[in-house]
Amino acid sequence: MTRFIQTLTDQAKRLATRSPWIYRINAGSCNGCDVECATTACIPRYDVERLGCQYCGSPRHADIVLITGPLTARIKDDVLRVFAEIPEPKVTVAVGVCPISGGIFRESYAVHAPMNQFIPIDVNVPGCPPRPQAIIEGVAEAIAIWRARL
Amino acid sequence: MNILKLFYRNLTQGPSTVAFPFGPAWTPPKLRGRIRFDLPACTGCRACEQVCAPGAIRFDKTPEGLRFMMWHNSCVFCGLCNFYCPTDAIVQSDDWHLAHPTARMYEMAIRELIPYTACSACGTKTLASAPNPVGVEPPFSAEEIEQFRHLCPGCRKKALEERTPNHAPTE
Ligand code: SF4
Ligand code: SF4
Ligand code: SF4
Repeated sequence: MTRFIQTLTDQAKRLATRSPWIYRINAGSCNGCDVECATTACIPRYDVERLGCQYCGSPRHADIVLITGPLTARIKDDVLRVFAEIPEPKVTVAVGVCPISGGIFRESYAVHAPMNQFIPIDVNVPGCPPRPQAIIEGVAEAIAIWRARL
Repeated sequence: MNILKLFYRNLTQGPSTVAFPFGPAWTPPKLRGRIRFDLPACTGCRACEQVCAPGAIRFDKTPEGLRFMMWHNSCVFCGLCNFYCPTDAIVQSDDWHLAHPTARMYEMAIRELIPYTACSACGTKTLASAPNPVGVEPPFSAEEIEQFRHLCPGCRKKALEERTPNHAPTE
């Protein structure tokens, strides 16, 4: 019986890593990176869904989180609340230099940069904004991490 | 009619999705990507540090010399450093493969040092940086750059006046 459950779990893990769900959090970004994230998913030219992933509308369904923006003081609590709702194991991808270091807003009094003092970040995709192919590269890296974590 | 044309085109040309990450991706020739720094060409003028809005470039005075630091995780790839550098010591390449695991985030930096040297004419402690080529006629040759590198600012000025008596740069 235990062996059967083990096989079932292994099979489920194998299938799950082929189809992660992506969720996007905007932590006060200028919208540049969000446009690139949308481009990556919606425009057939880039088509991130070839990697098996799909954007989902609820944080409770998500496996991979794309975070954009420098974590502004105003949005911080909401971002942390939504982030806590995402089930483990999750992989966080910082899209753009804003969530990594604060980028152009680094010294501002209105942002809590860098973000990784509040949220554990697994993959960084620098750029302002990064090009869609770079985001795809970051997502591919995140899938590999997620596979190891599952 | 249009839809038929589109249908025909799609049939003959295949999908428009780029193959990346399963194949190479096309890169525009002027894409502003990873920064490259050429230490021997740097004059230490710090213009790049001045114009860098997110503070991705930093110069620090250390006992050994002038330390240059540049961090890609703060850079917004605006290209201003490239534009204002008088010697093209700092240029932007078209390499956009910058995604990395967080554990490697501090490896995404360039760290170099312009060391101190003793002026070959008067012995004063000075930075071994390249001479500023702006307005110098005729342009510096490679040997002259090496020769000027080991002169202090005062001796550089004298050497420049001797080199081009009629074109001495004004203050
Ligand atoms: S990294 Fe640049 S494009 Fe992206 S949110 Fe920040 S400022 Fe906007
Ligand atoms: S490209 Fe712009 S942001 Fe990046 S190092 Fe140069 S001046 Fe700074
Ligand atoms: S020579 Fe170029 S790289 Fe060196 S300090 Fe001046 S602007 Fe910066």
